[in-house]
Amino acid sequence: MGPDDLLLLVMLVALTLYALLGGADFGAGVWEFTTALQSTDKQRQHIYKAIGPVWEANHVWLIFVLVILMNGFPVAFAALSRALWLPLLLALCGIVFRGAGYAFRSYSRGTGRELAMWESVFAIASTATPLFLGASVGAVASGQLAIAADGQYEASHLTGWMSSFAVFTGFYAVGMCAYLAAVYLAREAAVAKEDDLTQLWRQRSLSTGLWMGLLSIGGLAMVSIEAPTLAAGFAHRGWPLVVVSLACGIGSLIEVWRNNFLRAVIASSGAVAAVLWGWAVSQYPLIVPPTITSGVSKAPDNILWTMLVVITVGAVFLLPSLSYLFVLFKSNRQRPY
Amino acid sequence: MVAVTMELSLAVAADNLRPARLQMAFTLGFHIILACLGVGLPLLMLAAEWRYLKTGDLLWKTLARRWSKAFAVMFAIGAVTGTVLSFELGLLWPEFMGRWGAVIGLPFTMEGFAFFVEAIFAGIYLYGWDRLPKRVHWLTGWPVAISGFFSAFFVVTANSWMNAPAGFRLVEDKIIDVDPFAAMFNVATGAQVTHMIVAAYLVTGFSVASFYAVQLLKRVSAYDRRAFTLSLLLALPLVPVQMIVGDWSAKVVAKSQPVKLAAMEGIFDTTTRAPLHIGGIPNEKTKTTDFAIAIPGALSWMAYGDIDAEVTGLNDFPAEDIPPVAVVHIAFQIMVSIGGFMMLVALWCLVVFIKKRRWPESKAFLGTVVLLGPLSVIALEAGWVVTEVGRQPWIVQGYMRVSEAVTQAPGVWNVFYLTLAIYSVIGVATVSILRQLAKVPVVETSDGA
Ligand code: HDD
Ligand code: HEM
Ligand code: HEM
Repeated sequence: MGPDDLLLLVMLVALTLYALLGGADFGAGVWEFTTALQSTDKQRQHIYKAIGPVWEANHVWLIFVLVILMNGFPVAFAALSRALWLPLLLALCGIVFRGAGYAFRSYSRGTGRELAMWESVFAIASTATPLFLGASVGAVASGQLAIAADGQYEASHLTGWMSSFAVFTGFYAVGMCAYLAAVYLAREAAVAKEDDLTQLWRQRSLSTGLWMGLLSIGGLAMVSIEAPTLAAGFAHRGWPLVVVSLACGIGSLIEVWRNNFLRAVIASSGAVAAVLWGWAVSQYPLIVPPTITSGVSKAPDNILWTMLVVITVGAVFLLPSLSYLFVLFKSNRQRPY
Repeated sequence: MVAVTMELSLAVAADNLRPARLQMAFTLGFHIILACLGVGLPLLMLAAEWRYLKTGDLLWKTLARRWSKAFAVMFAIGAVTGTVLSFELGLLWPEFMGRWGAVIGLPFTMEGFAFFVEAIFAGIYLYGWDRLPKRVHWLTGWPVAISGFFSAFFVVTANSWMNAPAGFRLVEDKIIDVDPFAAMFNVATGAQVTHMIVAAYLVTGFSVASFYAVQLLKRVSAYDRRAFTLSLLLALPLVPVQMIVGDWSAKVVAKSQPVKLAAMEGIFDTTTRAPLHIGGIPNEKTKTTDFAIAIPGALSWMAYGDIDAEVTGLNDFPAEDIPPVAVVHIAFQIMVSIGGFMMLVALWCLVVFIKKRRWPESKAFLGTVVLLGPLSVIALEAGWVVTEVGRQPWIVQGYMRVSEAVTQAPGVWNVFYLTLAIYSVIGVATVSILRQLAKVPVVETSDGA
């Protein structure tokens, strides 16, 4: 393993954490969006209370992936920026509106109408962001981005991410977020001993879980038709992770059914993580298929080593802080001081 | 065929140059205000909460708590506008990042950690008021203040590298021997980073003081007076520091970017005993700076510490390497005049303090401080205009021109218009939420605000 592989691993871990933690935050907004008309104040409060202390931190995983890519694999960073110009801009719009909507919603002292406005901004943006980020990932995975070996882009700005596969992954990402959020929120409700909320989120977890299972199978079929290289990678190396993902998915449904919400959270996270890892393992060593490998795009080795050292030192500060945050706000022992 | 596509893409690049620059400048100029408050406000919160811990006086807690709410809003908007910037580096300047990312990236990676720690502890601090023991809560604010400081530090090292590139060698157009630490700690780093961080505290101190000065002009209350005093205590002592560091910055510019110095001062002809121009409008056609008051020798002294030193004028640089002189000169004058004005106010305070052993409280003084809030922000923006426009036409001084770096994507103008619209909404909403927060009556109850 060279430093480039280690760094790819770090990036994958960060991306996974973004998908799991940030994804759940987005999912909460997706639920707010899809149930805007029927949900009560209490249900809304539950959502906002759950993501309040953690969403800023969860968002930084994205920045983290971005800066590692920028520093460690500059050619890939530039190529992706060129090819995914439009979906990334749209995702950015979503990020801006989500953060702003959330902050304004939380601190506004205004009228009910003003709150409702920021709530809907938050909800719509929370849905749009994973849609466009998911489509971007799909465009990369499909290998249909017309990128030359020097990283220049040679097609129109709609190709790639408007393919049926990328559109599918966009919606799939939204679904994943909703599913993660439902399971997490069920657990939070159970911890807070709110029986009606627990029931509500239990039911929502079950139904989205089933839907996501079906979509995943459909997705596999799509990979084999639309993304032959990726399919070959799956057949060659990625398949154990596909199995893990399905097993975790089924497991999470069983645990939700049995009201074991902590286990369900773990299993659903495993299911989502395994999808990402399956994709990454299958396309390795390509970063941006069909042409850009990690070897082509990486920075000189001394930079990569320096980054790894910096990341290790940073982790010494980061991991305890992060654990403290989650223990404080997400553990079972939530006692007001 | 190849030639035609080449020409086409160059034409697109040329068209993209203006909107991409405007886009970058506008989003940076917006982010920097929030970033400054994000760096400075935690210190004020900590100071107020410390007074509360010491005295047990709930008014201090109320103050800390209310500032922490304002901080929360600023922080959230600072984070999203910062995310926009990170993406923009790739989206607008793919050639720049693709080519130089390896050299310039390390501070951004480090900054990632600083943000992380900041966001984590911001969450803990903001939501921990009722969950943590008092002293622990206060301690959790420190990582926020410290990592804000380091965010600013890291990101400005990246900018100083663009002004004074170091830490690599070019052999046949290939970048080799990259030394990321030499790149981070280049000749411009010390002055620029210090000047920026001091500016962040000045902007925070004066903006907050300016708000409370308005309140005090309406009605004097203990609450407003404490807030006012505390924020001035942050800003005023730093004013002379900023003057000295600004002078250091000018010396660095004289060494590493002489053409920027000439543009800042509107010096067209190379001269010994070069004059410092105060005011004046550079005329790029006649190549003179009109209507300026000239102090002979002062510029030579400022830049090189010797009134007889030679300062190279703009005429002795190739025409294609000269930045827009008028913009740079005027922006520099604005920053320096505001700095001078701040200095006068600081002296005013000092004199009153020595004479009467207390803070000046006259209406005139309050009114002046009201002005200093917006003025400090103007100085900040003007300073950045000097730095960034003064570097034109280079994105990496001496190594890559902005025109070589820009994206060839379509529709950059439209993106810029859209950004203007979105940021206007967000700017207006932010101000309106802050006003709503400020209107909540101050009650001295046990839970603070
Ligand atoms: C509150 C804000 C503020 C105040 C009062 C001043 N400055 Fe400043 N100045 C900045 C805020 C700033 C800044 C926005 O923060 C800049 C932009 C880039 C940087 O590092 O600092 C800057 C840049 C900047 C530069 C360009 C550095 C470069 O291009 O690398 C010079 C030469 C000075 N300043 C000099 C001064 C002098 C001589 C001042 C006093 C009279 C002064 N500044 C007051
Ligand atoms: C560390 C922080 C910063 C970095 C890394 C940075 C980087 C850049 C880059 C890449 C460009 C485009 C290329 C160019 O025109 O040279 C640019 C332009 C510009 N930036 Fe900065 N910048 C920073 C801070 C700021 C801030 C805070 C402002 C505030 C006003 C600012 C104002 C501008 C302006 C006005 C331009 C356009 C210059 C022109 O086109 O004439 N910059 N900057
Ligand atoms: C002189 C210029 C800058 C300073 C002093 C500065 C400082 C800060 C600070 C203190 C924050 C934390 C948010 C807050 O407290 O409001 C922040 C957020 C951020 N900034 Fe800047 N910044 C500058 C320029 C830039 C540039 C050029 C970039 C782009 C590469 C950038 C990227 C970011 C990002 C990504 C965040 C969000 C981090 C998060 O999610 O918490 N900043 N900046």
